[in-house]
Amino acid sequence: MNIEEKLSVLNYKTDPTYAHITVKPDLCEVCPDHFCTFACPASCYKLIDGKLNFKYEDCVECGTCFVACSHGSVNWTNPKGGQGIKYKLG
Amino acid sequence: MSEFDAIVVGAGPAGASAASRMASSGLNVLLVERGDPPGSKNVSGGILWGQELSKLYPDWEKSAPLERFISNKVTGFLTDDSYIGIDFRTKKFEKEKTGYSVLRTKLDGWLAKKAKDAGSMVITGITVDGLAWNSKRVVGIKQGNDIVTSDLVVLAEGANPRIAIGEGLRPPIGDHDVAIGIKQVVKLSEPVINERFNLRNGAGMAAEFSLGFLKNGVKAGGFLYTNKDTISAGVVIDIAGLRKDNSTYSFNIMDQFVSHPYIAPYLEGGQLQEYSAHLVCEGGIDYVPKLYGNGYVITGDSAGLSFSNGMVIQGMNYAIASGIAAADTAVRCKNSGSYDLNQIAYYDHLMKDSQAIKDMKNFRGISKVTWSPMVHEFIPKFAENVLNGMFRETGEPKKHLMEIALGSLKETGYDRKKLIIEGFRLMRKM
Repeated sequence: MNIEEKLSVLNYKTDPTYAHITVKPDLCEVCPDHFCTFACPASCYKLIDGKLNFKYEDCVECGTCFVACSHGSVNWTNPKGGQGIKYKLG
Repeated sequence: MSEFDAIVVGAGPAGASAASRMASSGLNVLLVERGDPPGSKNVSGGILWGQELSKLYPDWEKSAPLERFISNKVTGFLTDDSYIGIDFRTKKFEKEKTGYSVLRTKLDGWLAKKAKDAGSMVITGITVDGLAWNSKRVVGIKQGNDIVTSDLVVLAEGANPRIAIGEGLRPPIGDHDVAIGIKQVVKLSEPVINERFNLRNGAGMAAEFSLGFLKNGVKAGGFLYTNKDTISAGVVIDIAGLRKDNSTYSFNIMDQFVSHPYIAPYLEGGQLQEYSAHLVCEGGIDYVPKLYGNGYVITGDSAGLSFSNGMVIQGMNYAIASGIAAADTAVRCKNSGSYDLNQIAYYDHLMKDSQAIKDMKNFRGISKVTWSPMVHEFIPKFAENVLNGMFRETGEPKKHLMEIALGSLKETGYDRKKLIIEGFRLMRKM
């Protein structure tokens, strides 16, 4: 099973109006390591044609990227009002 | 006049325990949880060690949603080719229960309900944005433009404490303070789990491994915990090693663990029910911030309260204990009619005397050992070589153990002097 298949078993209540994590594209563009792409357990950070692509919809709210990014690009907040990941087992 | 005696942020084991105990002592308590229902944001590897809950609910072993009691503890190493483990079973674990496997969405739902039954007001699906201050004193919480006031705020946000960090109540998180926890819950039937792990009558296994098959300085531990009819399989990854390598995906380490030739058969035929991730506090006592201040206390994972020496991993019991200490502090403040700083300092006094802080102080710096190349590279390789030398029948003349050990040592390519120094450090710290 690849990571996309694993994520597909999860339940989310996605907030279309609020990205609870944002990145600063100008910092990511010149980032020498893109460690976020390796660290994030939900593969929300991907390099596509050399450009960082971030998808908050798949986030499982662990906080790894906040620690992983040593360049200050990641702004991490909790989703609003019960939205985001919804674990059934935990 | 505040609206509440205490507001608790976060309904995990720390927060729900604090709210329950305060409310049952007659305090006016608000418990705010961003997940809806409580527990839907929470993850842990899954063993609740100890008897802390008996202080709140004497019958908890009968009424709480527990999966299996731990009768069987395994600790070991995995290399590319081998599985090396100590498999400890004892009747003592059956007579006096030492730990239970749990699934947090169920457990935390139950804990929140107990807090509500005790008289707390519980609101879910509300994300607290920050704290309300009045001249250097925390006087409540903020959500959007709303402020709700209380004499004490109990921060129980978990391992990713946005408010505590955002309000400057604790330093940001470094590479050595936390590890990346990833877990898969796999569905099998209860009889199949009993057969595969040789378990009967509600007994369960807690197994932890050092993943010696990882390369390039990447380090991780793996765990297998049996639940009633599911298995929790997961990894805990060292961030510093992963960063240095910068070519290994965290989620692939999870995959490598569950597809290891001696782990995969345990999970065979099982259906993936959930994939999850969570930070694991690893920083030890040096990661614990000042636990209190004017108008607030910090509990559980938010305060970095967790213990790991590679063989024993605990957190939920410390969280519950800190929640109880926070509650006892609030009750004392209420009774004395003062929530002044020197009254709130009672929490610190209780915690200094707690098992959590004592354990963590006693094992200061242990993570340097648990994440050392000695544990993750040398010992698995060395043990594998020695055991091969002892047990593999090759038709060659048999060797004495010492001879095998020295030969194995040479094969690992480790510097002997460095080994002696690291070995002593390992013995002393562990």
